Amino acid sequence: MLSSEEKFARRRLRTTYLSSVISIALVLFMLGLLGLILLNAKKLSDYVKENVNVSLIFKDNVSESDILKFKAHLDSSYFVRSSKYVTKEEAAMQLKEDLGEDFIKTLGYNPLLPSIDIRLKAEFANNASISVIEKKLLENENIKEVFYQKSIINLVNDKIRKISIVLIFFSIILLIISIALINNTIRLSVYSKRFLIRSMMLVGATQHFVRKPFVLKGITQGLYGALIAILLFSGTIYLIVNEIPELMDMNEINVFAEVFGIVVLLGLIISYISTIFAVRKYVRLKTDDLYYF
Amino acid sequence: MTGTTMPLDVVIEFNKATISHKFNLILTDVTFQIKRGEFVYMIGKTGTGKSTLLRTLYADIDLYDGNCSIVGYDLKEIKRREIPFLRRKLGIVFQDFQLLMDRTVNDNVIFVMKATGWKDKNLIKDRLDEVLTKVGLNTKGFKMPHELSGGEQQRVAIARALINDPEIILADEPTGNLDPETSGEIVNILFDINKTGRTVFMATHDYPLFSKFPARTLKCENGRIFEASVANMV
Repeated sequence: MLSSEEKFARRRLRTTYLSSVISIALVLFMLGLLGLILLNAKKLSDYVKENVNVSLIFKDNVSESDILKFKAHLDSSYFVRSSKYVTKEEAAMQLKEDLGEDFIKTLGYNPLLPSIDIRLKAEFANNASISVIEKKLLENENIKEVFYQKSIINLVNDKIRKISIVLIFFSIILLIISIALINNTIRLSVYSKRFLIRSMMLVGATQHFVRKPFVLKGITQGLYGALIAILLFSGTIYLIVNEIPELMDMNEINVFAEVFGIVVLLGLIISYISTIFAVRKYVRLKTDDLYYF
Repeated sequence: MTGTTMPLDVVIEFNKATISHKFNLILTDVTFQIKRGEFVYMIGKTGTGKSTLLRTLYADIDLYDGNCSIVGYDLKEIKRREIPFLRRKLGIVFQDFQLLMDRTVNDNVIFVMKATGWKDKNLIKDRLDEVLTKVGLNTKGFKMPHELSGGEQQRVAIARALINDPEIILADEPTGNLDPETSGEIVNILFDINKTGRTVFMATHDYPLFSKFPARTLKCENGRIFEASVANMV
């Protein structure tokens, strides 16, 4: 039966091991999250771009059936993602709501025109493409005006480009931080055993023999860390899928598998390399140097 | 292995060697031989270089100058990868025991066996029982080092040093942390080991031991090491 001292020592060892695993797991979780954001970055930017609105304003005398016919034509065209017909009355109601007063009563008539709001496919949601589309649409004599906010579209594209650069920069920084943190966690764990390593070397163990259990422990820490990170990650994905389904759906199983794979691989590789370097340092040190490093 | 041309019955040979530690010269013109089966004390005040000389012998400190051979290894030429194999031919007993505090007495000894190539579980068990019995710890193999007294911990260190049947036992103040009675028991064990033909080279400043267990004595003083007459010192 174990003494209470032994139980305490074992519990303390387990706690140290667990805290190392949790540190690794959290770092890998952050890294995985960033990986998922990067892999979804295009989807995210498409989502933003496809919310840019272009309105086709029809002339007052165009019949609803002509507009609906044109809408059907638009829906089948290569640059349209979705479209919505807005009648004069619906437009008036919307404006009334926005202004907070009944402008029809003041004017005595509804000056608004029927329109179709279209959402373009992401690759056409830039000013150059919209200009070409605008020209093409204006060839239709029923259309009075094509309305879109050039400055907003420019702004959206500019922001997406800047966010992409920041995201890539941030990913590189986070990768470096992750490597440094995991490396530090493992180095600390090996550092605490430097005198044990020294004793092993003094009784004639080879560097390889001393290194082996540390490397195995490092790899299992990396693996457990990665598995916990994947669990956290799965929870996060579940939350996102339920709360913001536009951002992600469960059909993206390939993307998730890719990210999970990367997380496990990074956990194993970083832990393995860190352990090798940390132990190598202490198996090579002379006894006196143990007090300085 | 870095070969030497040492006479067959000589296991340690210093020839005009200089022992230094972190750029400080500790011992100069060190010249002496220890023959197979000898028991040799190395005495001297604290700081005279006894431990530094022993650490040089097990290649924990580089030999600064001159020549030194131990069990066929030339310490001037020894390569880093050869050091573990040199240490396997030595049994080293430290003043501070240097036990692996995270494992039991049995596991401390088994670690050395596994590290030095023992694989057969039955052979490991038999040899473990044999050495623990020799040092009187056959009933305490399951204990952790911190559960043992200083004398018992030193016995574990001796058992560990004996496990591979080394040619030489290097003992660095093995009684330094022990009471006189326990010190006597430890030296007695070392003399028993010596009677089986192994060489024992022991650093100590425990002068009362000499009268009880007389043997050849080397003395470190003023940066030199020389043969000393035990009778005069006692």
